[in-house]
Amino acid sequence: MAPHRIALLFNANKVYDRQVIAGIGQYLNSTRVEWDLFMEEDFRSRMRDIHQFRGDGIIADFDDPDAPDTLRDLHIPVVAVGGSYHDPAGYPDGVPYIATDNARLVRLAYDHLIEQGLGRFAFYGIPPNPGSRWAQEREHAFRAIVQEEAVEGLVYQGLPTSAGGWGTAVEHLVAWLGGLPKPIGIVAATDARARQLLQACVIGGVAVPEQVAIVGIDNDPMAQLLTRIPLTSVIQGAEEMGRTAAHLLHQMLRGADCTGTRVLVPPVGINVQASSKYQPLRSPHVMRASHYIRQYGCLGIKTEQVADYVGVSRTVLEEHFKRELKQTVHQAILQHKLDAACQLIAQSDASLADIAVRCGFTSLQYMYAVFRREYDCTPRQYLDLHRKTTAS
Amino acid sequence: MPVSAATAWGHLPDGRPLHRWTLRNATGAQVDITDLGGTLLSWLAPDRQGRLGEVLLGHADAAQYIVSDAYMGAIVGRWANRIRAGRFTLDGIDYRVDRNDHGNHLHGGVHGFHIQRWDVETEGDALLLRLVSPEGDGGFPGEVRVQLRIRLDDEGSLDLRYDATTDAPTPLSLTAHPYFNLNDRRPDIRDHLIRIDADAFLAIDAGAIPVGRENVAGTAFDFREAAPIGSRLHWPDPQLRVAGGFDHCYIPHGAPGAVRTVAVVTEPSSGRRLTVDTDRPGLQFYSGQKLTGQPGRRGDTYGPFAGFALETQAFPDQMNGPEAEGAILRPGQIWRQHTRYRLDTV
Repeated sequence: MAPHRIALLFNANKVYDRQVIAGIGQYLNSTRVEWDLFMEEDFRSRMRDIHQFRGDGIIADFDDPDAPDTLRDLHIPVVAVGGSYHDPAGYPDGVPYIATDNARLVRLAYDHLIEQGLGRFAFYGIPPNPGSRWAQEREHAFRAIVQEEAVEGLVYQGLPTSAGGWGTAVEHLVAWLGGLPKPIGIVAATDARARQLLQACVIGGVAVPEQVAIVGIDNDPMAQLLTRIPLTSVIQGAEEMGRTAAHLLHQMLRGADCTGTRVLVPPVGINVQASSKYQPLRSPHVMRASHYIRQYGCLGIKTEQVADYVGVSRTVLEEHFKRELKQTVHQAILQHKLDAACQLIAQSDASLADIAVRCGFTSLQYMYAVFRREYDCTPRQYLDLHRKTTAS
Repeated sequence: MPVSAATAWGHLPDGRPLHRWTLRNATGAQVDITDLGGTLLSWLAPDRQGRLGEVLLGHADAAQYIVSDAYMGAIVGRWANRIRAGRFTLDGIDYRVDRNDHGNHLHGGVHGFHIQRWDVETEGDALLLRLVSPEGDGGFPGEVRVQLRIRLDDEGSLDLRYDATTDAPTPLSLTAHPYFNLNDRRPDIRDHLIRIDADAFLAIDAGAIPVGRENVAGTAFDFREAAPIGSRLHWPDPQLRVAGGFDHCYIPHGAPGAVRTVAVVTEPSSGRRLTVDTDRPGLQFYSGQKLTGQPGRRGDTYGPFAGFALETQAFPDQMNGPEAEGAILRPGQIWRQHTRYRLDTV
């Protein structure tokens, strides 16, 4: 039997596409399946000519906005490869879809910055464009994480990259970086964007990673070559995407119906380099504990839970707190509750009883006692002083 | 580092006291082990930043371990994995052993090694666990004496050396049954990457009994290149549907009897890496799909895929197949196993 003739429609000028193709090759080698592979000589995809193709199947890059419409009416099996979408409506109909899981990529970058002890975050994306919907998906994922974890998260899409507009784009980027609160951890939508950030940091005199820690996505060797500070980058599961796409097409050529199959491939690693090796002055245990207290301080947590979360004994954590913050873990939790209560008293219309509950005080009386001790006033007096009275 | 002194850890239903011991190494890693089933209760290991975190699933207390059907962290025997219909013939005699898993035998039966109290003594930096399994235990012939030596070294390896003898021929296959989750921040192992150095695995029927050897090439079971566990679960594969995920025995490269690396699991976020070395012929990979509802350490419950298990063992139902004799221990022989779980970071 003649080998199946398969077209691979990818713009293989980026490491991601090349790894997808490498994964397809690995699958073919492992199975000894013979495919007669068609690719353009310059490894650029030309969708519009594909109707001339006399073949048996196609694996195509569906991040290309022309792909769904162009390939819809072909009567041969097609497997789509591209970015994941938070909204299922983003996926094309009628083709199996192998996705890089954009939400997990961003989550891995964010978790890494958290582990480095950072408490503030930003995302450097790309202006909306049909050819880079994945960048919008990564931005969406970032917004969802910072909202869920109630941490500070700024987003800057920057300007589109063009030769003519480059000077302006860099100026704007330097200005954005200059205005950011620091220290801060920035997730870039891609290594190409991360490289621009690193460059702007040099121009703007911003210290990396001391003031700005940066994580890119792609682990592109090219980006590494062009940066003075080695770039930390999330590694996509692109080879596994290629293996998966080849497997599905292989099944379809044998008559299997894989139409509804959707496989989201998580990242396979993070290449940790200098750009994110932020060294906080404070102990990492205290940083982690503070992060936990910021998130859950008002939910009645106790020292033991904080120590469990950090992964050290209570004694060790107390030592670090005493050294770094001159207070106990319990005092830090109480301080967080008091800060939250003060903010609610000043900025909401909630009753004091309600505020006591929401800030994790076991009773209104206890909140009164703590206020008297710490602020030498009652919550009522604090309210009278700070709550903006609306004219009634 | 010397093993800690024993501390009290609950009781058996008959009132006998249970204990736990702690092994430590120079990196600060520590492993807690109890005499109930020789169970690995906890393993704190450093992540990429050097921060210690829990990498094993566990229940809250002895009472939960005793009633659990997850074999959480335990040493299982006399027969790790399944025996079809709980029946086998040995030297012309038909035996019927406990049928505790949909009509089949699983993991030593209703009162297997995993909930027996082992005798434990410390020997420098190692823990020695001994168990005498009487004639008829779970329906198996012969009195079997087992010794297990567990040691945690400064490279992060938990080293398990078993030896066993019997006074009558019996099938024997022991394994440790820890469930790992290398990311202590996320109760789901589907983003872990696994590599399994095996060209073949045993396909199973609906009762999880092997029905034949299959080549991994071109299937979801091919982990010769590391791949994420979770995305493989979405490959259309009848063997994944049968088990609701991975619960299959691989046949790793290399001759059994010599210790070789059979699997490597990495977790991108923490940077932790688990390497499994063994001299056993089989490696059961279980992706934890049925952990739903198992009680956790602090009143929580686990969901599906909360942990994975890599069990080094003989082949399931081996005594009912062509390699039956390899599953049998006879008087005068010493059965040995050497398995290592090594944790480091990448």
